[in-house]
Amino acid sequence: MHRRRFAMALAIVTAAASLSAQTAAREQLVRGRSLWDQRLSKSAIAALEAAARDRTTAAEAHEMLGRIYIFKGWQQENVFPGWHDEPSYRARALAELRAAVAADPARASAQEALHLAEGFAAAEKVDPAPPRDEVKALDAKLESYRSAASAPITDIFAAIEARAKAQADPAPYFTGAQLLIDRGELDRAIAMAERGAAASDRFIDENLSAYQMSGKSQGSYARGRATAADLIGWALFLKKDDAAAAAKLEEAARLSQSQDFVNQFHLGELARAQNAPERAREHYLNALSLSGGPPPLRQRATQALSAMPRRASDASFDAWLETELSRRRDERKAAALKSLVDRSLPKLTLTTVDGRPYDTSSLRGKVLLLNFFASW
Amino acid sequence: MPHLKTAYAKYQGDPNVAFLLISIDEDTARLQRYLTEMKFPFPVARAAAVDAQQVMRFDNIPSTFYVDRDGVVRYQIGGNESHGDSPARVSWFIDQLKSR
Repeated sequence: MHRRRFAMALAIVTAAASLSAQTAAREQLVRGRSLWDQRLSKSAIAALEAAARDRTTAAEAHEMLGRIYIFKGWQQENVFPGWHDEPSYRARALAELRAAVAADPARASAQEALHLAEGFAAAEKVDPAPPRDEVKALDAKLESYRSAASAPITDIFAAIEARAKAQADPAPYFTGAQLLIDRGELDRAIAMAERGAAASDRFIDENLSAYQMSGKSQGSYARGRATAADLIGWALFLKKDDAAAAAKLEEAARLSQSQDFVNQFHLGELARAQNAPERAREHYLNALSLSGGPPPLRQRATQALSAMPRRASDASFDAWLETELSRRRDERKAAALKSLVDRSLPKLTLTTVDGRPYDTSSLRGKVLLLNFFASW
Repeated sequence: MPHLKTAYAKYQGDPNVAFLLISIDEDTARLQRYLTEMKFPFPVARAAAVDAQQVMRFDNIPSTFYVDRDGVVRYQIGGNESHGDSPARVSWFIDQLKSR
């Protein structure tokens, strides 16, 4: 009698435990799916792998993982800047989808995905995934506020949040910051650009490629941070805080290696406002020698230059400008060919000050400052 | 170069950051005098001037390279930087690379 009651209690406890494990697995599955919708890969995969360990959610979770790996293996080329197909995921896609079918042979969507992956594996070339309609529509909505000067600011905020919720890349924050700047909402623009910088870092962390060349992700981090720093600097300039503006705009220049049109234009505007015509001229010329930048800003840079005094011996403005721009383009090309930036540190024979071989093994894996100097 | 000493104070004891000065002096006695005077808190090595400038592709002396954990050069700054807020700039470069 006692024993039976004990057995029953045990059965209930076990059932409750497995029920709560199922609930947890179901939650992980839902979480993983929503994280993947936002393109937060690393967290999505972790959640789905947890869900795949529970029998009741295994088929769905394996299928979802398979679909993520299909995207990573065959369909992510240039979907975001710096993203490339990662063939190492292809075998994993097939393995996950086979596991999904094995877990639930009747699951039609898993079989469909498996056929898709097998088709991709046999194909010569697979087109990248097109932008999703939902995200495209939210982007268009946000863009529409550029020409809707009377729209309430709360609508803009709602559009930014809606787009950011749909996909976790930083673009809506940066677009939003620009919209807020255009409306003179400078403090809110600065806060929005800061959110963009944080979103950018996270988005890159979440989507680091397994075998990415180290240079790639560094460039992506720098791009996001440069965009944020330039927006913040420009908002500070419009707030007439020139010192703080200079610090941010120059930070953006370091991050973009002075190769961003808009940032160089902004530095030109700042220098002009500070009554530093030489510096302004350099920045405007730098800007115009770079490609990109919206035509109205290019025109403003050209106008600013033409209004500046030149030496009497200079030829016509157009001829002078062309000479200056092509000189800068040539210099940039030569510097890029020569520079070690983004290349591996070459082997260099070092000795100690008293001439013995210098052991560099303790420097490996560290952030390193190397300063070549001479005491003369 | 005092700005490097100032900047280094922030990273002394940090196992993930290293500073290395590389002298391209030919005159050892002169270099020794300079080092005695400067008392750098980080190591100093030597390289042959022609070698160093060719391999590291720099014209300006001094030249500073910031290298990330993976051994990739990320920033190259030519010329003397010892003006203004240079320790802040030095640590800005290092913090950029540390945060990745």
